[in-house]
Amino acid sequence: MRTTATRRAVAAALVAVAAAALTACGGDDGDDGGDDSAAARVDGGQEKGGAVLDRPFEKPDLTLTDTEGKEYDLVDETKGRTTLVYFGYTNCPDVCPLTMSNIAVAKSKLDKAEQRKLDVVFVTSDPKRDTPKRLGKWLRMHDPSFVGLTGDFDTIQAGARSVGVHIEPSYEKKNGDVVSTHGAQVLAFSAKDDKAHVLYTEQNATAQILAKELPTLLKGGTP
Amino acid sequence: MTRARVCALALAGALAVGGCGSSDSGSDSGGAPELKASGAYVPRPVMDDMAGGFLVVENEGGTADRLTRVTSDLSDTVELHETVDRQMRQVTSFPIPADGELALSRGGKHLMFLDLARRPAEGDKVSVELHFEKSDPIKLSVPVKATNYTPPK
Repeated sequence: MRTTATRRAVAAALVAVAAAALTACGGDDGDDGGDDSAAARVDGGQEKGGAVLDRPFEKPDLTLTDTEGKEYDLVDETKGRTTLVYFGYTNCPDVCPLTMSNIAVAKSKLDKAEQRKLDVVFVTSDPKRDTPKRLGKWLRMHDPSFVGLTGDFDTIQAGARSVGVHIEPSYEKKNGDVVSTHGAQVLAFSAKDDKAHVLYTEQNATAQILAKELPTLLKGGTP
Repeated sequence: MTRARVCALALAGALAVGGCGSSDSGSDSGGAPELKASGAYVPRPVMDDMAGGFLVVENEGGTADRLTRVTSDLSDTVELHETVDRQMRQVTSFPIPADGELALSRGGKHLMFLDLARRPAEGDKVSVELHFEKSDPIKLSVPVKATNYTPPK
């Protein structure tokens, strides 16, 4: 059930992208100006905010290593706090930095008191390459308060699976390329019951949407 | 299975007919690909080890082409990547269909610059040259945008 709900949300997002891509093909106008070009239309559906889950997810029971090299128990450390969790990796030029940057920008729009109430946890889907040091360096570029976790892949994968996030182990191709997966969604856990009631897909985890909805999430509400 | 084959044949037939039509219309009007690149940007990289790049190549010609190689002053290694099931894969070229376009956009196909010469700042320009199978190369001066930039609708 859980997975289905997630999949459906992701599928819907994909359909939206596909539709946008199709429309884009017709687009023949935007010549110069560039910014107005076909690709621009791909981010359709931006008005849609986080999806509210019928069945909230429990916080994954993950004890991993933080960017200081210390043990970090996700359930304990973020108990009673509004927490955004994302599974991604740093050797990723597109979606992972986009997602974390969107969260950082949205967080910076909150007032200081709100900012202090929010935890952002980035769990690597590529622990082989994402050492605590590398994770720390990468996350500090987004926001020094972000928590980065790494550790045993199987543990991370099981934790991700428990919240409907599917990741595969990184593998090296014959040509030396390393292939890694990132999660498709950001999970928002409520401070009230420590459960994720809301998820954001790649398509709607934008800075604007997050900035608009975070204050509600911080009050324990859903968008 | 038979149906799939019939479909394929029908499709091939349609293509063949289409092909005849265009060659009829004479003097190589469907001849060379006519490429135009637009909307290029590089989101500001988080560190100096990699950056992504996005753009659209439109083809107004009646012949397909391929983006085969990209060179840049930002990096000696620029790869072509596509994202399938949230996994990046390197490919050797991207197709640019006749009367169509190749769109490199967020969450999909992108350029990947490795081992950057520098970490560019927002507002900087990166020079990028696109090389194609058939067409002449296209040179671009690509703006560096915010890390979370996505083009407006």
